[in-house]
Amino acid sequence: MEFFTESIVIGLTQYAPLILAAMGLALIYRLSGLINVAYSETITIGAYIGMWINTTFGVGFYATLLPTAIGSGLLSVATYLAIFRPAKQRNAGVLEMIIISFGLSIFLRHSLQFVFGYPVRFYKVSRPDIIRVFDVGVTTFRLLALVSVVVLALLLYWIVQRSRLGLQIRALASDEDLAQVSGIRPLFVTVLIWFIAGAAGGLAGSFWGVGSNVAPLLGWRQFLLIFLVVMVGGAKNIGGVIIVGAITGVALAAMTLHFGQVLYAQLALIVAFVVFMKLRGSRSVGAGKV
Amino acid sequence: MNLDWLDAFLLQGVFRVVMVLGLALLLHLQMGLARIANFGVVGFWGLGAYAFAVLFVKVDWSLGEPWPFLISMAFGAAVAGLAGLLVGWLIADLETEGVLVGTLGFASSVWILAITEQELTGGALGMGGLRFPFDIGKTKANELLWFGILFAVVALIFFYVFRVHRSPYGRLLIAVGENEPLAGSLGKPAFRTKLWLFAVGSAGMGLLGAIHGVMAHLLIPESIGINVTLAAMVGLVLGGMARVWGAVIGVILTVGLFDVVVQSYLPLPRSWYTQTIPVLREMVFGATLIAVLIIKPQGILGAMRRDKLTRRMHGG
Repeated sequence: MEFFTESIVIGLTQYAPLILAAMGLALIYRLSGLINVAYSETITIGAYIGMWINTTFGVGFYATLLPTAIGSGLLSVATYLAIFRPAKQRNAGVLEMIIISFGLSIFLRHSLQFVFGYPVRFYKVSRPDIIRVFDVGVTTFRLLALVSVVVLALLLYWIVQRSRLGLQIRALASDEDLAQVSGIRPLFVTVLIWFIAGAAGGLAGSFWGVGSNVAPLLGWRQFLLIFLVVMVGGAKNIGGVIIVGAITGVALAAMTLHFGQVLYAQLALIVAFVVFMKLRGSRSVGAGKV
Repeated sequence: MNLDWLDAFLLQGVFRVVMVLGLALLLHLQMGLARIANFGVVGFWGLGAYAFAVLFVKVDWSLGEPWPFLISMAFGAAVAGLAGLLVGWLIADLETEGVLVGTLGFASSVWILAITEQELTGGALGMGGLRFPFDIGKTKANELLWFGILFAVVALIFFYVFRVHRSPYGRLLIAVGENEPLAGSLGKPAFRTKLWLFAVGSAGMGLLGAIHGVMAHLLIPESIGINVTLAAMVGLVLGGMARVWGAVIGVILTVGLFDVVVQSYLPLPRSWYTQTIPVLREMVFGATLIAVLIIKPQGILGAMRRDKLTRRMHGG
């Protein structure tokens, strides 16, 4: 019994940012059919923005969250306007779009390395309090991460599935021309989606960053897992991504406890997810358009 | 043999260029013709290197030279080829996103195993004990001979790719890449074609990995990072994904520029080479991928030779 509660508590608190990041990636995937590899750098940049504000101005961690979300959201929009939109206007294929996002990911990652240098950076925060949940010690940062993920997840779910804007998003994702004649402004909605997705990614990055350290590879190390969660959870609705993300977190925590090695847990998960995708067959999970 | 004229850095730079060229040529068949984005090139390359090294170093060979070496080399290529068959089977009927996740996942798995299986691979510290199968004097002479062998292997790969372009098999790859359902409805076995393509390509990548291992003498998990995939991909995309010579021109302009020209011929301060240049190299590679695919997606050489021929015939 102890093993189960421990796995669930650790899994949900430690991997809460994974759910948040996966929702962001899924939003972009659902809207444009693009798996944005450079999303991993949106996450990393979120961590760097938070760390930079925190260490430069001596602001507490919680106060950095809002500027972090805005900063990484704006960066995400900038990549859309500067790169993905022009590429789409030139009719780049799915394969080309993915390679472009891969190139952007590499470029941004090494730009961060260039600016901030090799040493890893740390948030300057006092040691977080530890709260015992079901007899498992959890830091307040991780609890807060879980709480913000729950709040943001509900908010995103509500926006996409229930609100007027969500209706526009879903309309745009299924048929752009039809959406346009119905009076939906594609550019506005698209920019908004990239902003929300970027903000979610940046927040995920800052939760990861404050939990360990900030390095140029922060986002890339998590990208494969995020990507797998999106592919398996499906981009049809955000709910699937949240559920698969939560299961992934708990499974990773349980396997890490069992093997005593986080890498084995990741390996098992990669294999399980890829085999699952094979068994599910070629049914496309998303809109599949660019 | 007097080799004073030959700079050791220059030799290693040219070795890397030819190595990446080999990978880019194999990737060309998968990505340029069949349009399967293999982001796991480094996985097959690294698996070949490690499989070769484990068999060569860990087994107590009773056979005389050069058999242990040759058998280990073949083993490295075979293991990578089988992995290619498995990965190919997993991803052959998935969309581009599925291919991306499958191949990236495979490369990550190889990297994870290289770290965790310390008994076999030496873990993060790396695995030594790799040496040339011959000894003809100085280190430099051995390295030069080994470069010659790599060059011969890559020349063979080039010849193979060149032949594929002009063969029914090549036309089959192009057909599968352009419109898979159509190729299937014409009775072409698209699934089996992809499997075979992945198996052969991966075996070639594994062999190149084993050749790299011998030159490096030491295998560390850090050396099988995404930058190997990136180097092959950026060369291929810049030169022209759909052309045989695209890989050659592109790799010379990218890896050649950084690992030979910048490394050996530019009068830059010493300290730049350890930190600044490697980061700058990756930045330029990433930016090149974006710029080429937005501005001129076909790369320097442009459209497929076959397309140009048909256009000329039909007066288009």
